[in-house]
Amino acid sequence: MIDIILMAYRDLSERKARTILTLLGIAVGIAAIVSLVSVGYGMQEAITGELTVFADLISVMPGKLAGMSYVELGSFTDRDIRDIRRIGGIKEVTAMTHGAAEVEYRNERKPVFVLGGDTDALSSFYVEPVGLDEGRWLRENDYRVCVIGNRVATEFFDEPVHVNDKLRINGEKFIVAGVFKKASMLYAMDVDPHIFLTLRAAKDVLGNEKAKYKYITVRVYNIEEVDEIADELEERINDNHGLDEFATAMTMGSMLERISSVFSILRGVLVGIAAIALVVASIGIMNTMLMAVMERTHEIGVMKAIGAKNSDVLSLFLLESCMVSLIGGVAGCILGVILARVVSLVVSSALGMEFVPTVKVGVLFAGVGVAMCVGVLSGFYPARKASKMSPVEAVRYG
Amino acid sequence: MIIRVEYLSKVYRMGKVEVPALRDVNLEIEEGEFLAIMGPSGSGKSTLLNIIGCLDKPTGGRVFIDGANTASLSENELAEVRRDKVGFVFQQFNLIHSLNALENVSLPMFFAGVSRGERLKRAEELLAKVGLRERMHHKPLELSGGQQQRVAIARALANNPKIVIGDEPTGNVDTEAGNVIMGILGDLNREGKTIIVVTHDPVIAAHAKRVIRMRDGRLLDEE
Repeated sequence: MIDIILMAYRDLSERKARTILTLLGIAVGIAAIVSLVSVGYGMQEAITGELTVFADLISVMPGKLAGMSYVELGSFTDRDIRDIRRIGGIKEVTAMTHGAAEVEYRNERKPVFVLGGDTDALSSFYVEPVGLDEGRWLRENDYRVCVIGNRVATEFFDEPVHVNDKLRINGEKFIVAGVFKKASMLYAMDVDPHIFLTLRAAKDVLGNEKAKYKYITVRVYNIEEVDEIADELEERINDNHGLDEFATAMTMGSMLERISSVFSILRGVLVGIAAIALVVASIGIMNTMLMAVMERTHEIGVMKAIGAKNSDVLSLFLLESCMVSLIGGVAGCILGVILARVVSLVVSSALGMEFVPTVKVGVLFAGVGVAMCVGVLSGFYPARKASKMSPVEAVRYG
Repeated sequence: MIIRVEYLSKVYRMGKVEVPALRDVNLEIEEGEFLAIMGPSGSGKSTLLNIIGCLDKPTGGRVFIDGANTASLSENELAEVRRDKVGFVFQQFNLIHSLNALENVSLPMFFAGVSRGERLKRAEELLAKVGLRERMHHKPLELSGGQQQRVAIARALANNPKIVIGDEPTGNVDTEAGNVIMGILGDLNREGKTIIVVTHDPVIAAHAKRVIRMRDGRLLDEE
């Protein structure tokens, strides 16, 4: 066995350039699969990891989620909030309101999304994970005071906005008390382009005097009860509004499910792309092996003339393609892990979200396995062709 | 009798034209003979040799080697005959260039499943026997034509066959090297091997104990 491996190795090293190119073909295909899948898992874990911190949280929205899109059906009332507070097992309820407002800064006007709510709750949702770049956070007794997202401060207006600058929101004067840091990917959409106010001030400027809320968050005491409470919540609010599907209460569990289904689709697409790369690589192996057979017709004839059986020739050539694909597969896995790290670094810095690729051992084994299958399958036809040659004709060749 | 050829015929097809290479050849070779087959090119001598060596299949007739009818053997069994009973020496040497002399000689034993240690030991002995102990680790292209042919003879002896067949074994080497090669074949014959050599050189044929002539695919009367 060792001898036949040595012999196959020698044959391969006689044709270094072509062997290396074939090897590269497989390695790139496997590297593509391994890296894409690992990056996919890594992203998913990073996101779900951040989300599980909020396992005791229920987000309630007045609208429906259909696939990836959200349709707002109205807003919550004070009565909804009172009813929610009556449900057992709830630690705290925070109501928020939001809406678009016209914001003026140094004679420049822009529409900006304004968000108001309980200052402590907003602080735990946004200030703790994102952090402030300058100034301070809102206090409950603040009135004409706001904190602005990083893009509001740096991008929205010609001149940057700083602490103690004055803004007009729907005509009302506000003083900027603080500016957020630039948020990571997970928070970028929620924080960067928004202005944060106290609930009172937000209701005033948005004209929602009748206490209409656009977003309610609920924290529960016991994480195990979270789904149960979410269902009850939806039911009570739907009753209040006389609609079947008015409110959507999302727990992190349902959010995680949603995210993982999105990621499994994403992974499928990535694996599909990589599979195409592999098919190309396997055509490459077949070509290499066919060329090797043709080139070595004479040698095969000699081997058969001195007593090699068809099966001897077949196994020699199959072993060669196996070795190419095994080495290619292992190299592909190593390359894939490196590639996954590089991609993660690039994507992390581009999205502002820290994550490392998750390399699953199963994925590595599958990578090598796929490479071997590709090698054996694409090596079989040329190997068989080689073994079937007539010795006298093959010897005469070349 | 180690080889018996009965009514052997071989027809090559060149497109639509059929070219007869052998016509009704009958031949008996005793164990331990040193036979030379002579004849002009195209007379069918190489074809006869290829069929006796189980490299090619006849169109008609039968060949018995060591009592076995080759027509009834499977491809694998034919490979075993080539491996164990017949040693073939080609005009073009036909060594494998990526392997050194030692490895070339041990290759038939590799196919026969002989262990590595035993293989290398025997290959070394055989190379010593043909006078190439000092050149064991050279690759074929680092050897002269005569030396390559001696490696090829050592390879033909690897599995200790009863028959050694040479198709113009001296055709590609100079006279001196040719004499060395014929000397080795003569020694092998004295050790009891059956030697069959194809040549068109009468000087070479003179080494043989029996000479037969061929023309147009037929055997002529023996001298």
